[in-house]
Amino acid sequence: MKEKMASFVASFGLPRLIITGFLLALFILAPIVGVDLPMQITNVINRFSWNAILVLAMVPMVHSGCGLNFGLPLGIISGLLGATMSLEFGFTGPMSFIMAVVISTPFALVLGMGYGALLNRIKGGEMMIATYVGFSSVSFMCMMWLLLPYHKADMVWGLAGKGLRTTISLEGYYDKVLSNFLQINIGKVSIPVGALLLFALLAFAMWAFLHTKTGTAMTAVGSNATFAKAAGIKVDKIRMLSVVMSTWLAAIGILVYEQGFGFIQLYMAPFYMALPAVSAILIGGASVNKATIMNVILGTFLFQGIVTMTPTVMNSVIHTDMSEVIRVIASNGMILYALTRRSEVTR
Amino acid sequence: MSTKQQNAGKTALNFLRNNTVPLMFIIICAVCIPISGFSPSYLLNEIITRLGRNAFLILSLLIPIMAGMGLNFGMTLGAMAGEMALIFVSDWQIWGIPGVVLAMIVSIPFSVILGLICGKILNMAKGREMITSYIISFFINGIYQLIVLYLMGSVIPIAHGSIKLPRGYGIRNTVSLLNMRQCIDNLLAIRIGGVKIPALTLLIIALMCLLIVWFRRTKLGQDMRAVGQDMQVARDAGINVERTRIISIVISTVLAGFGMILYLQNIGNLSTYSAHSQVGMFCIAALLVGGASVDRASIGNVFLGVTLFHLMFIVAPQAGAKITGDSMIGEYFRVFVSYGVITLALIMYEMKKRRQKASIGEQLALAQKEEEQHE
Amino acid sequence: MNNKRKWIFRGCTLLAILLIAVLMFIVGRGHTVYIDNKTLEYNGESYGALQKSEVWVGGERLSKLGKRDRTMTTVIGNSFEMKLINTVNKGDEPTETTVKISLPYGWDGILVNIPGYLANLPQEAWMTEFIIEPTAEEATDEEETTEDDIPMGDF
Repeated sequence: MKEKMASFVASFGLPRLIITGFLLALFILAPIVGVDLPMQITNVINRFSWNAILVLAMVPMVHSGCGLNFGLPLGIISGLLGATMSLEFGFTGPMSFIMAVVISTPFALVLGMGYGALLNRIKGGEMMIATYVGFSSVSFMCMMWLLLPYHKADMVWGLAGKGLRTTISLEGYYDKVLSNFLQINIGKVSIPVGALLLFALLAFAMWAFLHTKTGTAMTAVGSNATFAKAAGIKVDKIRMLSVVMSTWLAAIGILVYEQGFGFIQLYMAPFYMALPAVSAILIGGASVNKATIMNVILGTFLFQGIVTMTPTVMNSVIHTDMSEVIRVIASNGMILYALTRRSEVTR
Repeated sequence: MSTKQQNAGKTALNFLRNNTVPLMFIIICAVCIPISGFSPSYLLNEIITRLGRNAFLILSLLIPIMAGMGLNFGMTLGAMAGEMALIFVSDWQIWGIPGVVLAMIVSIPFSVILGLICGKILNMAKGREMITSYIISFFINGIYQLIVLYLMGSVIPIAHGSIKLPRGYGIRNTVSLLNMRQCIDNLLAIRIGGVKIPALTLLIIALMCLLIVWFRRTKLGQDMRAVGQDMQVARDAGINVERTRIISIVISTVLAGFGMILYLQNIGNLSTYSAHSQVGMFCIAALLVGGASVDRASIGNVFLGVTLFHLMFIVAPQAGAKITGDSMIGEYFRVFVSYGVITLALIMYEMKKRRQKASIGEQLALAQKEEEQHE
Repeated sequence: MNNKRKWIFRGCTLLAILLIAVLMFIVGRGHTVYIDNKTLEYNGESYGALQKSEVWVGGERLSKLGKRDRTMTTVIGNSFEMKLINTVNKGDEPTETTVKISLPYGWDGILVNIPGYLANLPQEAWMTEFIIEPTAEEATDEEETTEDDIPMGDF
């Protein structure tokens, strides 16, 4: 019996166990300390729906051996370009969301290909360079948001008439367009079915892709690049494909996030956005070279659960908001744990 | 082309390749300085001040590079240790130079503990040191906030309400260091026509440089260089590789703690929660601008880097304002350049590594071919 | 033998560092000294403020105090020396006095009363601890920002 427990702990991962336990404790505590549990559950599900696609974007690159995609901001920027241009061209309502997706795609493809080409030439040092490529591009775009010729009244600064604002409200555009679509209310818990459907669709598509010939090739490249090359797989092309997929998913991911959050956030906002996604998938049980869809779902749920529940429950219990500090320690600790493992295999 | 011309061309190309970043920066500065309109004496004064402020911190980065640990993003840990020491010394009302000395001494145990933690974790992530040290700095930042924001004032006694938050525990966002402001800078300051030279600070930095040169020749220093060259070879030669790596990180962290105290004594004000993160990033950028790379850095790189990087830093906002009419462009530009330079240096390092591996492979193949021909 | 020497050497360095730390503790203690030229009531007796008192610290004039004036200076260390040029009543000849006080370690702010000192009263009469009440403006300080600060500021 003890052996079974030990092997379960080893395969599930001790940090993951701690985090799950912590979240369970929060859920149990919540009604006891007077926190509105149905509302919190709604919040958790909502935040899950906003973030899940960004976390899903991690999967292709992990499979192909490019490591954790710290360069997520590149894809996010493509999404931001799509969003701002869709608004600039005058689309409103659900159409603006669809157009945002349409316009982001070419940007994501181009940026993804450039990023992929770069990563192919620096095999082995992907993660560090990805981080800084992400930072450089965000700060570069900071300059661009000021210079690009946007004119729409509710996007630019009022006084000067040029230069985009830091946050742009999506009311009248695609605010909650997916969340409200097919929204189901069970008692006091409201579920944003639309957004969840989109995630399910993309997740299923990813799962299906990974079982195609190209998908298995990608996994092969990640497991053992030399072996894959010997088997005739074009390693560089597959890696490039994974990077482009990841970048495009990130673009969609930020658009879904925006529709849930209600605002487009420019300038320095995307700067650190890779880290939550990275730690979410790691919390879900992924490692630097292995990630499954289950990791995405579990990880996003656990991460967003902690982010949502900790402030409210802690506040009610000890009247101090330590949530920010806990989030920093937990999420970065998780990434550290993953970085210090040898290659591991989890469910 | 004759062989001589070919060789000259190759050396020129190599020179360009090895020094891309400083050359780029010289061009950027050459363009931006006249546009910005600052006077030479103003720039000179600023550069000397910033040199005194930052050089020690950047010197702390040299040791891990020597030991093959790459860019030590964990220097932030030393900065945090220095900050905690300063908070205590501030609370104990120890002022002036004695305050600075005491803060340095108090920071040592903090730095050593943090350095040991960092070193141990890095040993568990061999081959991924840089990204790991980068995440460690975030992780320990969380722990630092836990201590400074929640434990100080409640569990850890802090006597003065003036540095605590209104709620009674936790340290404020800014802690005034007015009573030790520039005490080291001013002690032997030499003023020449509008330029203030903080002689004592520069003396301390010079001493540190000498110390580093001497250290390279000691057994420990030689061990570190061996570990940096090739861990397996060093291990076979009997060097305790893990221990040497940890020591290099601990030394770097302690030095970063001292450097942070010197930095803060110049500024006179402690931004409790943001000072250390800024410092880490900008110091590494400055070192890279000076021509250092992930596996090789010299003292010359430090000084060249501080000068060029800070020149760019000072003139960019003004130049940006004059060119585009918006000063924010200049500010974003200098942030972009700081990150861009690190990105570029990292990329070039990786590509060089692959080129070297490829050339070793080629040489091996060549040697094999010759052997076959001889048979 | 070599090992023992190494440990002795390390022990001595540690000891030296600790001694320096203690020294810094003592030598570096900072105080703010407030100097009053106010009428002092003590034991029923009243010691009048001087017409004018010039306070000189470190060779430079710190301040000119009229009746009921107060000035302040920062001091590092445990002793404080100042020179006073006093004019007791209007029209008198100014007289010079050198004041040397040792400052109690535990007090941050120290209030010195000139008339009391000049009257050679016991130390507790003219030297008291000065405690600053935190002002209302400090109470409205912003809440702590623990956001991952994006480096944008000057360096």
